[in-house]
Amino acid sequence: MSQGKSFLRIFQYSETSILLEFKAEPKLDLLTELVVFKNLLYSNLCGVRQITLSYKSLLLQFSNPLKKYKNLKEEILKLYSSFDSSKSIIKSKHWNIPVCYESKYASDSSILSKHLKLSRHQLIKLHTKPIYQIYFIGFLPGFLYLEGLDAKLYYPRKKSPALKVSKGAVGIGARQTGIYPNQSPGGWNIIGTSPTSMFDPNLKQPCFAKSGDTLSFYSISETTFKKIRENRIPPNFREIIL
Amino acid sequence: MIEILNSGWYTSIQDQGRMGMQEYGIPYSGAMDMNSFNWANKLLNNPLNAALLEMTIKGPKLKFHIETIIVFTGAQMDIKHNGNKASLYSPILIKKNDILECGACKEGCRTYMSVLGGLQTEKILSSRSQCNYITKSRHINKKRMLQIKKKLFELNKGVTLKSPLPSYNIKEIEVFKGPEFDLLESVTQQKIVSQTFTISHLNNRMAYQLEEKITHKLPEIWTTAVLPGTVQLTPNGTLIVLMRDAQVTGGYPRILQLSNHALNILAQKSTRDVLHFKLKSFE
Repeated sequence: MSQGKSFLRIFQYSETSILLEFKAEPKLDLLTELVVFKNLLYSNLCGVRQITLSYKSLLLQFSNPLKKYKNLKEEILKLYSSFDSSKSIIKSKHWNIPVCYESKYASDSSILSKHLKLSRHQLIKLHTKPIYQIYFIGFLPGFLYLEGLDAKLYYPRKKSPALKVSKGAVGIGARQTGIYPNQSPGGWNIIGTSPTSMFDPNLKQPCFAKSGDTLSFYSISETTFKKIRENRIPPNFREIIL
Repeated sequence: MIEILNSGWYTSIQDQGRMGMQEYGIPYSGAMDMNSFNWANKLLNNPLNAALLEMTIKGPKLKFHIETIIVFTGAQMDIKHNGNKASLYSPILIKKNDILECGACKEGCRTYMSVLGGLQTEKILSSRSQCNYITKSRHINKKRMLQIKKKLFELNKGVTLKSPLPSYNIKEIEVFKGPEFDLLESVTQQKIVSQTFTISHLNNRMAYQLEEKITHKLPEIWTTAVLPGTVQLTPNGTLIVLMRDAQVTGGYPRILQLSNHALNILAQKSTRDVLHFKLKSFE
């Protein structure tokens, strides 16, 4: 309930965690606010072990059961009223993700083209044009929640999920697009496949991207696809300011 | 080395899990019943995070290729050590070539076996817990060899737990209000905390579904963080209790949150077991 900011409520979620929920629509302003406030809490709040960001909330987990919740709540509110996200500079990265849109790698492209009345070329153009905002990782290890899909590509999820979606599959589900980091069941319509590894549990940082980064897709041939996958070529990026 | 002669129904290597890795979408993992896990390590004076075996429903058959000491905790189970009955909550001295045959769980459904110094299997993302997409396999398989530490000292008498063993017949599951609980109509709230629920056959390390349906008008929510012990309510009225290997985000309303104690109790329950929720508030 602070001045002009979007804080909605603070809520004890479990014996060791506190949930902060924000009232604003999940747009870029809120994402910036969440990332900045998260960093501020990490450096100022004693005993906090992990802060998880999602569309409209931060979940703060502590090492020990909370004994002085009221004090913590006051401290959080105080920190919140004193910070200004517009003054902060967050260094992020923009990732270029290769996708092979050829039919062999895009099991549902023809259905989408037909129903959305778009040629294959138009479909690729609409999917590779936007800069997608990376909100957070969830659902599967290394699965990025992306915002920015062109409304012309909105298409409902499958009524019953496919049992096997292959690793790297790029899909559209309702208003979202995303990359399956591993082979798994899934309900999205597959329009391409990326050779880039989105998740590797053997790396210290198992997923290259993080909240606040951006991403765009570019179209590649099957030959390039094979070359990138076989040689495990990491994606290109450039530094940006969130 | 411990050789797996037979893997049992579902046996996996577990420690305290991967807390701190959730920003990459990695499940918490770790022992389902942390209370039994802690006892298993305490009784051997092991490090707190030592990895052990979590045996579900029916235990494995093992052959030891090295001397060690082991302890069983958790659900009661028929255990034969070279053909002789062995008990839980008491250290068992193991000689080279000893055979351990674990039977079915009796009260409860998860039994834990710790070894001196903990299992020395590969650590991935700072934990040895087996988990889908993270480790090569979700559970141990026949013929696998598990590395353990060499026993460097003799245990005189060992420590045996004398206090009453935990009972898993408790039906009361202690919960706190979840973030969306107050959006439910009060009749529905009353119903949830007063009726009895049955655990469906859809129960595993990721989640437990409950059979009885709760009709409601809650909208779906923006995908948000969830924790082991979070109770979600799906559009068709199914209650899903998230367990240790659950996804770290979800889009269903979170109506309840189990206490840590309740999560350990629930981990010992299985298909057709009944429970009721007891609403509690944080002090």
